[in-house]
Amino acid sequence: MNTRKNLLSAPIFLVVFLLQETIMNQIHLPIGGFSVFLIFTLGWCALSTPETGALVGFGAGFLLDVAPHSQGPVGQWTLVLIVTGFGIAYLRYGDDSFRASPLSLVVIVAVGVCATLLFYIGTGALLGMDFGSTFQLVKTVLGNGLWSLAVTPFLLPIISRLHGNIFESREFK
Amino acid sequence: MRRSGDNRSRLLLVTLIVTSLFFITLDLRGVQVMSGLRNGAQTILAPFERVASSAYSPLGNFFSDVAHLGRTRAKLKKLEDQNAKLRTTLIAHKGQDAQIKALKSILDLAGTAGYKIVNAKVISQGSATSFSQTITIDAGANMHLTRDMTVICGEGLVGVVKVVYPSTALVMLASDPAFRVGVRIAGTQQIGILSGQGTDHAVLQLLDSQSSVKVGDALVARGSQANKPFVPGVPVGLVTSVSNSAGSVSQMASVKYYAHMNSLGVVGVVIKAPAADPRDALVPKAPVPTPTPTVTIFVTPTPTPSASPTK
Repeated sequence: MNTRKNLLSAPIFLVVFLLQETIMNQIHLPIGGFSVFLIFTLGWCALSTPETGALVGFGAGFLLDVAPHSQGPVGQWTLVLIVTGFGIAYLRYGDDSFRASPLSLVVIVAVGVCATLLFYIGTGALLGMDFGSTFQLVKTVLGNGLWSLAVTPFLLPIISRLHGNIFESREFK
Repeated sequence: MRRSGDNRSRLLLVTLIVTSLFFITLDLRGVQVMSGLRNGAQTILAPFERVASSAYSPLGNFFSDVAHLGRTRAKLKKLEDQNAKLRTTLIAHKGQDAQIKALKSILDLAGTAGYKIVNAKVISQGSATSFSQTITIDAGANMHLTRDMTVICGEGLVGVVKVVYPSTALVMLASDPAFRVGVRIAGTQQIGILSGQGTDHAVLQLLDSQSSVKVGDALVARGSQANKPFVPGVPVGLVTSVSNSAGSVSQMASVKYYAHMNSLGVVGVVIKAPAADPRDALVPKAPVPTPTPTVTIFVTPTPTPSASPTK
């Protein structure tokens, strides 16, 4: 883990967050749509060590928490993304076959998006949040997963190039 | 896996999780710093959202149009060609025209009821991953908006002001799962509670077990004490189906909102309610079937010409 390198990735996340909040949120896609910021975060975590994954999850979750649209208490997204960021990085870090195949990366990011949303619903339910009908919840989670599956292949080259530029792929050696 | 790094990694994970739990606790206890963070973020984001919204709105309309087109490919192709031709001429005026129309209908509604309103443009909508339904409008404390003010559009109730920032405000839509509003059935004056479901339909629960509701009944807001959060008389929606389960204490019904929550461009915030309750004056008129004219022909028997015409 290198603090300087992690700090270097912060502006990239800020830009993606701004893109998500200003432009992506205005696009209304059928069955729920997707979050570029979430895909970017999980993709980034998947390429990193578990420690970096948790740190990135912390930073990204905190940004989502202070977003004006966020309804839960500050800290909920942070908690959710620390755990999923660490989890996704841990899953991939120990497994060489995983790292070699881009397809598995796409699948794991899409599953990660679903898992993140489910975890968010779970913690939200514990904190007494109101989520509406079950059908709507299932639609949002599945819709996000499917859209992520479709969009991630286009975003991954950008994520891995940016990640490579900052970390120079030395973490894996 | 690095063995030496394992302990450090675990320590980091635990520290981060504890920090986030600390944040949650602080926020739930109502510590000002946490809500201040969101205020700060909104203040920073507002100018970006405004620029993006003005640049993006024609494209956004296009996306939502395409999403709702028919599935037939040929029809899609034909419509797309037609759209492309029309768009070049319309693109400059389309946005403004829609906003003027929305504004006019809001003013009509507000004028009939005697509401004093502040108009605002919708600059951002809730994100795809959040389960709450909110919009951000470009009026805030600078336009004397305060929390719990009713937000309307030309068709009826949109929602309620939830958070006021210096130059913007966050509005909770009536379709939000946490949204509740006391309503009255126009005409029969029975009262009930309407709950948002996260979709364009809401659930109405009547308070009186004796009262009944039928399909096509119009609902208006009952109004709150001191007109906050709801001013009385705002049209809310139309009953589309009634569920008659024998076990339930009171009747339930499904209600479709008058307002189209997904395509809001301009909204009005009621800053002053009328002195008198407008009652049912704002309920949109049900379409009256145009009478088909029936033509009645009277046939009078003509005298048969006689065999020997007279001269």
